[in-house]
Amino acid sequence: MDLNRVDQEKYARLVKLEPDVTCCIGCGSCTASCSAGVFSRTSLRSALLALQNGKEQEALSLLGACMFCGKCLMVCPRGLNTRHMILSIHKIYSET
Amino acid sequence: MMNLLSLLLPLQDVSAEVIDRIPSGYNHFILPYFIGILFCISWLLVGLLRNLASLPAEDRKRLALSLVTPKTAWKNIRDLFCDCLFHTKIWKRKPLLGYMHSAIAFGWFMLIILGHCEVALFVPKHLSFKEGNLFYPIFYRFFVWANPEHTTLRGSLFFFLMDFFLLYVLSGIGLAMFKRIRSIALGMRHTTKPSLADRVALYALWSIFPLRLLAESFTANLSGGSFLTYSANVLLRWLFGENLYIMPWWWAYSIALGLFFFAMPFSRYMHILTEPLLILYRNAGLKIRTLNRGFGEAEIYACSSCGLCLDACPMNIQKKNLRFSSVYLIRFLRRHNQAKVDRIADKCLQCGKCAQLCPVGVNAPAMRVVQRSLSNNVIPYHYAYMQDVAAAAPASQGKVLYFAGCMTRLTPRIIKGVEKVLQTAGIDYVFADKEGGLCCGRPLMLAGRTDAARKAIEANRQMILSSGCTTLLVSCPICYKVFREEYDLPGIRIVHYTEFIQELIASGKLSMEKDGTRYVYHDPCELGRGCGIYEEPRAVLSQAGTLCHASKERDESLCCGGSLGSLTLNYKDRGKITEGALETLLAENPECIVTACPLCLKTFSEKSAVPVKDFAEVVAGHLPQASA
Amino acid sequence: MKKNILIIGGGPAGLEAAASLKHSGNNIILIEKSHQLGGHLARWDRLFPDGIRAREVLDKMIASLDGVNYFTDTDIAQINILDRSYSVILSNGISVLADAVLMATGFDLFDARKKEEYGYGIYDQVITNADLEDWFRTREDSRIDHPKRIGFVHCVGSRDEKSGCRACSKVCCATAVKQACEIKAEFPDAQVYCFYMDLRMFGKHYEDLYLKAQKEYGIRFIRGRVSEVAEQIDKTLQVKAEDTLSSKPLKVTLDLLVLMSGIRPSQNLEPVRKALQLAKDDDGFINERDAVYELQKTSMPGLFVAGAVTGPKTLPDTLAEARAAALQILSYLADNDKKPAK
Repeated sequence: MDLNRVDQEKYARLVKLEPDVTCCIGCGSCTASCSAGVFSRTSLRSALLALQNGKEQEALSLLGACMFCGKCLMVCPRGLNTRHMILSIHKIYSET
Repeated sequence: MMNLLSLLLPLQDVSAEVIDRIPSGYNHFILPYFIGILFCISWLLVGLLRNLASLPAEDRKRLALSLVTPKTAWKNIRDLFCDCLFHTKIWKRKPLLGYMHSAIAFGWFMLIILGHCEVALFVPKHLSFKEGNLFYPIFYRFFVWANPEHTTLRGSLFFFLMDFFLLYVLSGIGLAMFKRIRSIALGMRHTTKPSLADRVALYALWSIFPLRLLAESFTANLSGGSFLTYSANVLLRWLFGENLYIMPWWWAYSIALGLFFFAMPFSRYMHILTEPLLILYRNAGLKIRTLNRGFGEAEIYACSSCGLCLDACPMNIQKKNLRFSSVYLIRFLRRHNQAKVDRIADKCLQCGKCAQLCPVGVNAPAMRVVQRSLSNNVIPYHYAYMQDVAAAAPASQGKVLYFAGCMTRLTPRIIKGVEKVLQTAGIDYVFADKEGGLCCGRPLMLAGRTDAARKAIEANRQMILSSGCTTLLVSCPICYKVFREEYDLPGIRIVHYTEFIQELIASGKLSMEKDGTRYVYHDPCELGRGCGIYEEPRAVLSQAGTLCHASKERDESLCCGGSLGSLTLNYKDRGKITEGALETLLAENPECIVTACPLCLKTFSEKSAVPVKDFAEVVAGHLPQASA
Repeated sequence: MKKNILIIGGGPAGLEAAASLKHSGNNIILIEKSHQLGGHLARWDRLFPDGIRAREVLDKMIASLDGVNYFTDTDIAQINILDRSYSVILSNGISVLADAVLMATGFDLFDARKKEEYGYGIYDQVITNADLEDWFRTREDSRIDHPKRIGFVHCVGSRDEKSGCRACSKVCCATAVKQACEIKAEFPDAQVYCFYMDLRMFGKHYEDLYLKAQKEYGIRFIRGRVSEVAEQIDKTLQVKAEDTLSSKPLKVTLDLLVLMSGIRPSQNLEPVRKALQLAKDDDGFINERDAVYELQKTSMPGLFVAGAVTGPKTLPDTLAEARAAALQILSYLADNDKKPAK
């Protein structure tokens, strides 16, 4: 990982779109309760870390299986808007 | 005076026969009205044709078919009368507001109809454009005078009716003016801020009828009149003497009409003419596909911007959220303001209350989902794993298959309650997703990720079909709604646990012991407004204890704040909605709040000082001791 | 002149403050809402970090009350603010004109039923930290029956916006590690897991306790918050969390799950707080006058606070605050005497 190579401009856009992305405390509740995670590796917590470390493709691959069921929204101890984070990450990082 | 008038209005030669009306020719004052309505009609015609052309061919066919099918045709007629003229939907909720609307709409409608009847009955050659008679119904009292030598009962009756309906409309206008000053008196806490075109049309509309009253009153000694206009005429003559200057009033009346028709296409009053179209589209079973075309466009222009959705919206417990209300979604759609439309579309809880309470029945939640799909449906998804889940169906030949859903895993009380009830009633059931399953697809749908939702729906459908079950039992209303609406499951009954338990009790398979606990039932949005289930849970709960009322319940019930419908609402703002909803539930000081949705249960439990229980949990707690 | 000092709360803070004030020549009245003195301490078996007996500590405190007037089963019925004093009517009918009031009302333990996904009150094998202390003292709890696999969940109702509390409860990490060691000592064959978000072993000897748990008791520490618990047919529990250090979702079957209920503001206090117009924090605790220098004072003159009434505290912190409050009350009363009456 090389933090010098992180696309800060993109990340700033993500933060603007959903300010909650900066507030994760990394407890792993989202990943543990994930409905899709039972079948396919899915982790919002890891995806957020991956983005902060400049690993955009890894982040997207960690969210591709998400079914948007909202369990992560219910269990997040910070009350973060997890689903909008996922949408926003896709909107900013999936664009070609 | 008479001489002056006869110069202005060359009287026709009527000596040949004795008639009770004396019609006359043309006057320039009709021009503002004429230009206004000409502009309005051409604008509307072009708009209508463009709208029809923008419907997909399949929808056009469907519409045509619905117009000739007796059942839908009859429904059309009924809806047109009830919704457009009598506003029965407003009457039911806010009688004074209902009176105001129907006074203006139905009163004006009757003035137009009766005006035409009057002309048809009393004016020979009334269809002759050359003689200017086309304006007679609008300016009848100016162009057609009563023959004082010849009065009939029929004539007086029309005078009476016209005066009566004018007074009726005026009472509505009076209320409308009062509402602008004190809306709460008519049952509205918040009202919309009118746009410029709305203001022009509004003030024009307000002035049309008082001006008509004045113009007709000034003329009543010549044209004839009834209790209202004739009495006013007597008063005016007593005040101003015999020299009544009637022309300015007829000009003003015509200008007000012209102004109204000119501003109408750009104002909220488009709803008057778009609502009938919307009713036809809706009854034809069309779906909103795109927002600024076809059905979507009809929804936009049918919105009367009345603002009833402002008070309906549970988000508006905080004033800052007023701007996310449906009325503003539609206003910004009309103005093609994408950024604002997106923001409003994403915020909504999708509780459906605005659509339920909308007098026109504008389906703003559905419009929001279409708007969301524009940016969200392209989001990629990797659902290859769903095939494995679809293939691993739990064998439940001829049995009840219980699908708990994702959220219910966080509310073990529901699972415990349901299983206990099923076991007590001796139901042979299989737990479909005990070790985890696929999401039902509804949350994806609500986010506008329609294609992804279809994948989940198809995988679940295969799983359910190959399980061999005959009944699909669900406890989560979110799953229930999408199973009912989007799943094609031939031969399988889809049933919510509130219905299922109610039937078990009705058929004697389950009995409950009542105690004195005071319960209040919260209607989950997706179950109540979403699926129309209000009675079953109440019937069961009234056998567990005393059922209290909430200050807002059934189709007026408030969202718990936990809804998956909203994409952008943050936790703090959701909390405010929860507190607001709890307040309505505690109106009669119940000892326990009962709901039938995992999301409502969890959301309320976090904030409520009063215990919150699940429906099945309450039932399981009231089974007779022997079976418990 | 003899002044009246009213101490609300007969837990460690109230007891220690009363003991510190008893020789000041003032009239001390201590009230306790429950039927016994000691607060939560009376329910505890042993204390971190060294495992001294809670009972021994409490007995010393009560012994040093030595002549202080106290009433148990007594609450505030009414309290009014006067010019330089507080007029208080107690629930036992006694009225007190208090020149100074110390609020030592302590805390409530978070009601673990509110975190439904953990199953407290729903599954038999889920207990709280307080339940476990009860068992340590009494050995009476049918839910604890030779468990082979035991889990501790940290931060239940703490650091959790959903429970209405963003703050850390400060004592649960050390308590969990202490209890994990103790139960492992009871059931040496058992495998014990601690699920934590961040391990906050900040105090003197806490890190030693952590080391002992790892080294001597073989406690397995998993960095991940438990997200849900399901009961299986054999009544064992399936617990799900993410092992965030290896970034893998994890599940484990347990026979006993202990929830570390956090420290929440005392609900009993609310009417008194309202009557005194005291500001509370977002999380519901009383605000001290400032967070550094005037910890024992409130916005009201003559009204002092000590212990968990202003937020989670360890027992030594609480005792230190109680002694500090006693000194400040005395200096307040002395200053008040010098001021001319209005």
